[in-house]
Amino acid sequence: MSGDTLLSVAGLSAGYGPIQVLHQLDFNVAEGEIVVILGANGAGKTTTMRAISGMIARKGTVEFAGKDISSAKPDAILRDGISQVPQGRGTFTDLSVDDNLRAGGYTVKGSIDDDLERWYAQFPRLGERRDQKAGSLSGGEQQMLAVARAMMPRPKLLLCDEPSLGLAPMITQELFRVLGTLRDEHGMSLLIVEQNAGMALKLADRAYVLETGNIVATGTGEELLADDTIREAYLGVVS
Amino acid sequence: MSLFLERMVNGLADGSIYALLALALVVVFRSTGQLNFAQGEIGTMGAFFVSTLTLSGLPVWLSIVLAMVLGFMVAAGVERVVVRPIEHRNPSAVIVALIGVFLAVNQLNAMIWGVDARRLPSVFPTGADDFVTVLDTPLRISRLGVIGVLIVLLVLLWLLFTKTKIGLAMRAVANNQESSNLVGIRVGTVLLLGWGLAGSIGVLAAAMLAPSAGLSGTLMLSPFLLASVAAVLGGLDSPIGAVVGGLVIGVTEAVIVGYVDFLGADMLMPVMLVILLVVLLFRPSGLFGSERVERV
Repeated sequence: MSGDTLLSVAGLSAGYGPIQVLHQLDFNVAEGEIVVILGANGAGKTTTMRAISGMIARKGTVEFAGKDISSAKPDAILRDGISQVPQGRGTFTDLSVDDNLRAGGYTVKGSIDDDLERWYAQFPRLGERRDQKAGSLSGGEQQMLAVARAMMPRPKLLLCDEPSLGLAPMITQELFRVLGTLRDEHGMSLLIVEQNAGMALKLADRAYVLETGNIVATGTGEELLADDTIREAYLGVVS
Repeated sequence: MSLFLERMVNGLADGSIYALLALALVVVFRSTGQLNFAQGEIGTMGAFFVSTLTLSGLPVWLSIVLAMVLGFMVAAGVERVVVRPIEHRNPSAVIVALIGVFLAVNQLNAMIWGVDARRLPSVFPTGADDFVTVLDTPLRISRLGVIGVLIVLLVLLWLLFTKTKIGLAMRAVANNQESSNLVGIRVGTVLLLGWGLAGSIGVLAAAMLAPSAGLSGTLMLSPFLLASVAAVLGGLDSPIGAVVGGLVIGVTEAVIVGYVDFLGADMLMPVMLVILLVVLLFRPSGLFGSERVERV
């Protein structure tokens, strides 16, 4: 299922001002792979996402599709093919669903009408609400909108920052099914950071465990699901 | 009836100028959350520039267009040189800095163009018989023209904001800068364009007002105050509100000056301030401003 390495991160450090959050992270994502980084609050999940997409200063090497993007700016990284679903969804609440998606396609040259129809077909609820303000959608719908918006720039790799945050389990399940569809039907690679270990690990091909800015464990999704320490720390299962 | 109609048209014409200026304030406020105190003075600078250009023989309309380009550059420069570096460190200090810019531009205008009032030619015919008669009422073309300018500008802005990519980017940045960054919009450039656009609109307002009010360094002082009231009345983040607010203030002014003898022109500002207070007390987000009700 997995092909060549798409994203390769080596010695990634980042932080805010004098506070270093990430310490020399190494991880990679292959083409067509779903990789999950598991971490509790404050582990550095969001910082990892922001460091990859160029939103904050970082040290170390980030290579994407064989190209060094360690010091590239956010819009250049987006054009190279890395798109992000931010934590808390980050939809444009005052804009219509349609304008949200159009804004998502901001970097695409030429017509984006076909893309719009493709994602409305994938997310029929968004199609029904295309003229509604995004702020009036339910949490689950807004998360779907955030995913669809992130797909508008036609990325190769989708970064998802805690997509399950604030969603009911049923909705989360539906969301993870959709994320799987993106890989299976649209050939996407995904890097998801989560603290919802159960569902995320079931979806993941491989996973890393992030604790206070360090990667402390790695394995396939199934391996980590079976690991007692992981089960205790992230699934609340006492063995 | 005839006098009433004339006063209403005059009120709407003055209101159109407040609406233009209020629009400029709203465009900036929506994107940066700042009230540009120098908005009026940049407009005055533009009107003086129109004066210089027309004296050198350029047609009035071309002079206004060139002055709007100047207004664009000055306002964009203020954003880049003053607002952005300070906002980075202390957002509330920007208010003080903008008051400083207000004083600086005001003085700069006096240094370049002197303190004597001048006449500024109108882009519309202003001869004694340049009027149209509606319902037996002679309405001056120059006054109707100002209202027309507002309408044309509104159509252009509507097209800009709803039909163009850069307009979409401006709305996106006004709503959520972080997400705008994520979808590849260069937020800094968009903010710069927003300030520049507001600068141009401010110049247009001044160039519409100066022919009837007389061009001097104090040209935009009271219009700026009234436009601020209009913007708050309509809702500081609502362009429609700015326009409605501006027209309401213009008509209110005409009614007070024309019909409420015990107040009259001298008491205009206090009345406006009372309106401002009442709005802030009972509807702080203005008539059309968003109260930001969201589902989570």
